[in-house]
Amino acid sequence: MSVIERATRKGAMALTAGTKAALFVIVIGAICRLLGPSVDWLVSWPDALVLPITEWVGLGVGWVLDVFKPIARFFSYLLNFPMSWASFVLGETPWPLVIGMVTALGWYLGGLRMALLGALGLGFVLLSGYWAEGMNTLALVAVSVPLALLSGLAIGVLAYEKPRVKNAVNVVLDVMQTVPTFAYLTPLLVLFGFGPVVGLIASAIYAAPPMARNVLLGLERVDDEVREAAVMSGATRRQQLFLVEIPSATTQIMVGVNQCLMAALSMVIIAAVIGGFDDIGWEVLLTMRKAQFGQSFLAGLVVVIFAIIIDRMSGKLAEPREKHSPKVVWSILAIAVASAIAFSLTGWNSSDVRAFDGVADAVDSGVGAFTASNGATLDALKNNAMFYGLLPLRIGLSDAVLPFTWGFKWTLTHTLMLYGVAVAIAGLLTWRGKPTAGLTTLIFVGMVEVGIAQLAWPFVLAGAGALGWVAGGQKLARFAVVLLVFILLTGLWERALLSLYLSGAAVFACAVVGGALGLWAAVSRTAWAILRPMCDLLQTIPLFVFLIPVLMFFQIGEFSAFLAICMYAVVPMIRYTRHGLVSAPEEIIEAARASGAGKWQEMFEIRGPYAAPTILLGLNQTILYAFAMLVIAALIGTTGLGQSIYLALGKADVGLGLTAGAAMAILALVADRLVQGFAEERRKALGL
Amino acid sequence: MTSENSTAPAISVEGLWQVFGENTQTALREALDAVDQTAIAETLVGRGLIPAVRDANFEVRKGELFVIMGLSGSGKSTLIRCISRLLEPTAGAVHIDGEDILQADEKRLIDLRRNKLGMVFQHFGLFPHMTVTDNVAFPLKMQGASKKVRVARAAEVLEMVGLEGREDAYPRQLSGGQRQRVGIARSLAVNPDIWFLDEPFSALDPLIRRQLQDEFLHIQATLKKSIVFITHDIAEALKLADRIAIMKDGEIVQIGTPEEIVLRPVNDYVAEFSKDVPKGRHACVESVMLEAIPENMPDDPGLRVGMTLDMALAKCMSLYEPVPVHDAAGKLVGAVNPADLAAALQVDEV
Amino acid sequence: MKTLIKTGVSALAVAAMSTGFAAAADMGAKDEPIKLAINEWTGQHVTTHVAAGMLREAGYEVEFVTAGMLNQFQAIADGDIHATLEIWSSNVSDQYAGLKDAGKLEELSDLGLNAREGIAYPAHVADLCPGLPAWEALKDCAMNFATAETLPMGRLVDYPADWGTPGADRMTGLELPFKAVPAGSEGALIAELRASTEKKSPLLITFWQPHWAMSAYDVKFVDLPAGEDACFSDPAWGPNPNAINDCDFAASRIFKAGWPGMKDKWPAAHEILVNYTLAVEDQQPMMGAVDVDGKGVEEVVAAWMAANEGKWKPVVDAATK
Repeated sequence: MSVIERATRKGAMALTAGTKAALFVIVIGAICRLLGPSVDWLVSWPDALVLPITEWVGLGVGWVLDVFKPIARFFSYLLNFPMSWASFVLGETPWPLVIGMVTALGWYLGGLRMALLGALGLGFVLLSGYWAEGMNTLALVAVSVPLALLSGLAIGVLAYEKPRVKNAVNVVLDVMQTVPTFAYLTPLLVLFGFGPVVGLIASAIYAAPPMARNVLLGLERVDDEVREAAVMSGATRRQQLFLVEIPSATTQIMVGVNQCLMAALSMVIIAAVIGGFDDIGWEVLLTMRKAQFGQSFLAGLVVVIFAIIIDRMSGKLAEPREKHSPKVVWSILAIAVASAIAFSLTGWNSSDVRAFDGVADAVDSGVGAFTASNGATLDALKNNAMFYGLLPLRIGLSDAVLPFTWGFKWTLTHTLMLYGVAVAIAGLLTWRGKPTAGLTTLIFVGMVEVGIAQLAWPFVLAGAGALGWVAGGQKLARFAVVLLVFILLTGLWERALLSLYLSGAAVFACAVVGGALGLWAAVSRTAWAILRPMCDLLQTIPLFVFLIPVLMFFQIGEFSAFLAICMYAVVPMIRYTRHGLVSAPEEIIEAARASGAGKWQEMFEIRGPYAAPTILLGLNQTILYAFAMLVIAALIGTTGLGQSIYLALGKADVGLGLTAGAAMAILALVADRLVQGFAEERRKALGL
Repeated sequence: MTSENSTAPAISVEGLWQVFGENTQTALREALDAVDQTAIAETLVGRGLIPAVRDANFEVRKGELFVIMGLSGSGKSTLIRCISRLLEPTAGAVHIDGEDILQADEKRLIDLRRNKLGMVFQHFGLFPHMTVTDNVAFPLKMQGASKKVRVARAAEVLEMVGLEGREDAYPRQLSGGQRQRVGIARSLAVNPDIWFLDEPFSALDPLIRRQLQDEFLHIQATLKKSIVFITHDIAEALKLADRIAIMKDGEIVQIGTPEEIVLRPVNDYVAEFSKDVPKGRHACVESVMLEAIPENMPDDPGLRVGMTLDMALAKCMSLYEPVPVHDAAGKLVGAVNPADLAAALQVDEV
Repeated sequence: MKTLIKTGVSALAVAAMSTGFAAAADMGAKDEPIKLAINEWTGQHVTTHVAAGMLREAGYEVEFVTAGMLNQFQAIADGDIHATLEIWSSNVSDQYAGLKDAGKLEELSDLGLNAREGIAYPAHVADLCPGLPAWEALKDCAMNFATAETLPMGRLVDYPADWGTPGADRMTGLELPFKAVPAGSEGALIAELRASTEKKSPLLITFWQPHWAMSAYDVKFVDLPAGEDACFSDPAWGPNPNAINDCDFAASRIFKAGWPGMKDKWPAAHEILVNYTLAVEDQQPMMGAVDVDGKGVEEVVAAWMAANEGKWKPVVDAATK
């Protein structure tokens, strides 16, 4: 308690919001820590206070589903038509024609580079033997994307036209993006009936928000004068919107189209869990089940190729483009028709080729051989990470420090010593005028001593509330606390803490590693040349495929899940850090250089602070990615909310699925809002 | 169509207020009880509201070029948006050709904009996705004109602003000056009676700015529109205006001809503006003419009523013989004709 | 493998006999395709393709629909899928029971696949824990199976959480010092087996047969006290007098289910599917041929059907002739 006294004495001049919040958290934390061992309800929320929300949700949704089932069934009946047309067209068109058309489109959009990308990419798909499955996946995307685009456009325009509903719309979009798809697959299945339509709608739900957000952003960014010029030209509201504002926002909307395509593609794979369509996702799942890493990686690569082609080509749509000779387009198409005829005469069947099976098998056995020869190293790596990193974080030093791992037993003396050192550090920092940093250190030490999974709920609520208060004032604090209380009431608190621990550990690791890599990429061109394609690959490959090598090397368990999450979630951290550091305005940099700043001084004194809001946004993305991956990582075998969602999917338990999904979304949303609050504050401080 | 009063001024603005914030109408109504304007404004600010335009009153006569001048944040852009009803004023009345446009419904407003009003914007406000022709023809399209008519009329106005040959270019391919020519052409496409120009030349380089000002004057000389022109540049205001309104903190502090503004500023604020203005260019001899005519006037340089001070000075100087010029040591090095001195100080007028 | 096939002949013959031959039935709407579910695992593919072969032989059109094991029941109730041919009693959702009780789904008798679930280990693990396969051996070598997450107990890789926790129940029942870690998916289980085999590392896992991995990784079952009914209700039964579940798994039932309308729409097909059985000895080699040798399911099943007409033809003939 001496810290508080000293801090208050020193802070008598002026306690900053951060210091006050940290003090508050410490007081609550200290009370919980002291009383926790004797007062049970402080650590685990009493069962008597758990509301049967899961059942309520189950019943409520069940009732709603019954009401809307006929409409939904009719809708899926309607959707079946475009679905079967798309798969008929894509499936029955001879492959040379498809490749030819994509190549021609590539040429038209981006010249030789794009044409080559199309030809080589689809050539790879053809030779991999997954052509038919690939076309089925594309058919799914071809129907779900227009659906997502249209609804995204409608939502975006609605939010723009009716500012009153804008906040509500934003919340809905957040929910659509953060509730894991698996959580609502079952209700969708009941509602729309079995078949590809469910996957289609699931992917549309996931893919519509980026479109809506970009439409809204684009419309809001339309130059005021352009808007006014339309008004002064005597345009009606509808004419203004459709003739001027939407076309003016095209560039931003195209960014939305691009993101929408990518999201739909990634979700189509996940929706394959339901089945009903012989697509690439199903193929990935099948090979995953057999632990055929090479094959499943190969199938995953097919999706990556689609993603890259779609990404690059739709990305070109957003840029003004130069003209490419239409003659080339026609000649490419002519060649395609000719070879289509030639191949149909010879009766050559692409699915027999499977040219890369050898490679896949080699990769497969390579992974096996590597595991066999490095088993000891891999195990040591995993065990060390578990013993000295993840376990203490989860169950706290007091439980994780055991004689045969750390060499001694943790006793009360150790606890006291640890807190003593922490208090000393906090005191020192306070004395040097950084009370907030000191108190935060103390809080972190306390968290590691207790373990995230065993944190007392009042402490978590106080922490979230305090962070919210500092980042965005009372409103944000209330938002965070109310939502977390909801999790408490559902009885999913313990699982939520486990999820929090795993994603927290992963986010922390990503922040450190991703930040360092981003910094490296910012100072070295070569580094970025190496990192960039890796980032692209990691972001476009189906999430499932991450699990494969990780599982092989480290088997089932938290460490594997941790690694899989990190691999996926580190990407935005790298990208945003680099982008933030690189994009400091030239004038500021010149001013710094003129003042005689060296390379690293420039990096840390000028670029760093300038990049802070951008880096925080990267962190925000990393958090959202980590939560998204958490659900997938449950396939490796983690406890926590992800597992609950799978359990619910397996048992077709709509209530549990949606509630666990909501809990997951709440964690993600709260984290998202907190970080955004800090980013906003930094931005304002910099006057950006 | 409502009745048009041919004797009415083109635009008349009475007691116009624009207050930003929440529940502004009630707040303003309550605040208006106060004695003077400053007190009203203070009441409003005290309630967290922003009075951007305070009790504006003025008239723009038919064919008059009326300039509203003020620094950024003085409320001039808000004022022009109230007149064109891009913003809904909080209180007051705006009549255009005698018609109260604040009472006009949506349909009437669209009608007015399609036929009677034109506007040019500071940053051009061009539609980025349309070609030059499509931009210029857009108001005609809104009128429902056929494509043929639109293209023909667009070509006509584009020629007027000197942009023939760039019809198919996109705004991003044009220079700033060219873009504003498109903006001007677009605002003239429907041949409006009332022309609003919101700092049309502020975003341009000085050289281009002057060129466009001159062309603007030329166009106005032929078209004789009733114009509200916004600028923050006193030199521009003095060069173009028939009359100038000076705004400060949302208030119109003085309305007058350029000469009145320069020579008889109502307060220090206006005086500060005209301090650096070469008065010789804007004031006429009448402004320094003596009341009583002296008996003995040996020289007559030929001064006439309406002559600027600069011109008058040059005329007087021309009566002098050349005078000597010495170096630092006092040695005679040359001679100067006083008439040349006056001419050198004068800026060329077009 | 050849020996397996040989023994299989007699097994299936017996099975076919015992179901008895019913009278020939009406073909029904034979121009409309019968949709069979294809689930996520190879054994089911084999089972389904054999059934498809039989239906085609009878003159029906068959379509395959890929469907998640757990998600297919709603589809069957809706008539989007007409039959699924390999349901494991150990892995059936509550939804199945609900739909069956509501009469929206018809259970079509047992497949006759003699399945076994149990606590298993790859053969090399016997060296790391002498005394295996006797279950008592596990008491003393639990530490050999310990990992960071389970210390000081040994680690048992259990089924994915949504399949239940049979492994954990056994460990509690038998008071074995093992902590069950749920795998997230079948792929995770296989990865464990594969990694253990390649690294020669210890592994105790909940597993089942028929499964291709049983032979691919030479997996053995631990001998546990037989799983009699009493074991699951009476604590006094078995080695641990204080607990239930102190025994091996109860025998799994593998059965078929279909859309209730099938009986009227395609009577003969319904009869074929009801009477269809397949033995482990037949299924397992076919699975091996697909998963280990990399052959196509169609190809393998066609070859088997050609070579073993006696095992399935009688069922088809009984329903159609």
